[in-house]
Amino acid sequence: MDDLYKEIILDRYKNPNNLGTIKGGVQVEEVNALCGDKIKIWLQVKNGIIADAKFEGSGCAISVAATDILMDMIKGKKITDVQQMSGAEIEAEIGIELSSVRKRCAYIGLEAIKKIKDSLNNL
Amino acid sequence: MKNNFPIFQNNTDLVYLDSAATGLKPASVILSEMDYYAKYSANIHRGLYQISQTASEEYDKSREIIADFINAKPNEIIFTSGTTASINLVAQSWGYQNIKSSDEIVITQMEHHSNLVPWQQLAKSKKAKLKYIPVTSDFLLDLKSLSKLITPKTKIVALTHVSNVLGVINPIKEIIKTIKNINSQTLVLVDGAQSVAHFPVDVTDLGVDFYAFSGHKLYGPTGIGVLYVNQKIYSSMTPTIFGGGAITEVFWDKTVFDNPPFCYEPGTPPIAQAVALGQAIKFIQKIGWDKITRHEKDLANYLLDKLSNFSEIKILGPKKSDHRLGVVSFAFDNPKLPAPHDIGDIVSQKFNVAVRTGFHCAMPLHQLFGFNTGTTRASLGLYNTQKDIDKLVESLNYAIKIFS
Repeated sequence: MDDLYKEIILDRYKNPNNLGTIKGGVQVEEVNALCGDKIKIWLQVKNGIIADAKFEGSGCAISVAATDILMDMIKGKKITDVQQMSGAEIEAEIGIELSSVRKRCAYIGLEAIKKIKDSLNNL
Repeated sequence: MKNNFPIFQNNTDLVYLDSAATGLKPASVILSEMDYYAKYSANIHRGLYQISQTASEEYDKSREIIADFINAKPNEIIFTSGTTASINLVAQSWGYQNIKSSDEIVITQMEHHSNLVPWQQLAKSKKAKLKYIPVTSDFLLDLKSLSKLITPKTKIVALTHVSNVLGVINPIKEIIKTIKNINSQTLVLVDGAQSVAHFPVDVTDLGVDFYAFSGHKLYGPTGIGVLYVNQKIYSSMTPTIFGGGAITEVFWDKTVFDNPPFCYEPGTPPIAQAVALGQAIKFIQKIGWDKITRHEKDLANYLLDKLSNFSEIKILGPKKSDHRLGVVSFAFDNPKLPAPHDIGDIVSQKFNVAVRTGFHCAMPLHQLFGFNTGTTRASLGLYNTQKDIDKLVESLNYAIKIFS
């Protein structure tokens, strides 16, 4: 239990590295009505590569911290590759095994990015 | 009291504070379901053999127990799968043929989604108007608004007896009186999901037209619920789900439906659950309302006091126990402290405390009061003790400590 709220989660929750918006970036939003998480993500994509990623959101510590960690993970990667990522990769990065309910919190950022479809060809 | 609930023998340190979501089941209810399957698990109203007759008798007896419990007649009790199904049944069987474009449906801002969405969708498909009775800053229904909201066009008012978020008990009798004084033709549906397990309900005295509730919140089984319909209303309703057991004669080109309530119970019903619901009511009656209401009021006071001691907790609902139940939703008023979802996880994993977190199926209400990431809700049942609440307090302090 104490594992779940280990330093990395609390740290990233209180002081996220990637908080903010990107002017002119692709914007996407995801909500988890079950717990009240709401995350907005901005991606700056150049030639299909994610040059920068930022987010804003309110919700539980897991959703905020995991999204912040995800932003670090995806910078420099092809957006099409990121959309193929599995939630397990986020869990591995955090280093915590999550219960099925909390997986939804941790995956919220990735679920948002997977929703980017229409504009992909123009990025 | 906990001795009556086998779940506490199987989960010795369980602190269950989620009775607003579902009530735990006493042994008599569990045994009653088992009895049906072990001793007379035949279909009802079909066979002439002994166990089928026993099943029919037990099923019918349960309907009588329920009718007596809320002071209705047995033929005014329709078995459904729960409150949600009961409300939808009214929206379909009554609503679709009585609501026309420009008619008005009135609900309140404190409704559970299950008493909001059916009306919203009905209004949409009929181009009718959906209006809301506002909730005041004191978390009460704004009854002064009734004189403006209820008009000659108001066909139905649907409102909850007790809010599953605020814990507030609405003065239903007074509200119905006011509504009928303005428009005697307006029908009133009351969502009783949160009330029937906590204080006596008399549908005749209330003057209500429809009353909906679930078995599982009443310490009974899941999958069974009740819709009370004032028998005068039956003539303006029609079945919308069809099948066996609900008809008297079928021809190639037409069907003669059975009388209500049977025409609204097609197919094989949840027999074991219906019978066991009768046992759940007997369980409550054996303890007695005096004892239940006194115990739960004392505990609600204790819970409200203890939560108010946290300087950074904001309660979504009245702080005093007058006209409210022990359903208390709260959140920390400090973004550095754990969000509801974190609290739910921490108190459960470390202390085996069961609370509900999120919007409790009342999202617009949370947003109205600025609780945008939801709340944590502790709700009481007749088995709870002060010790349970102390454990909640201890676990909340622990959650705060982790985050600071």
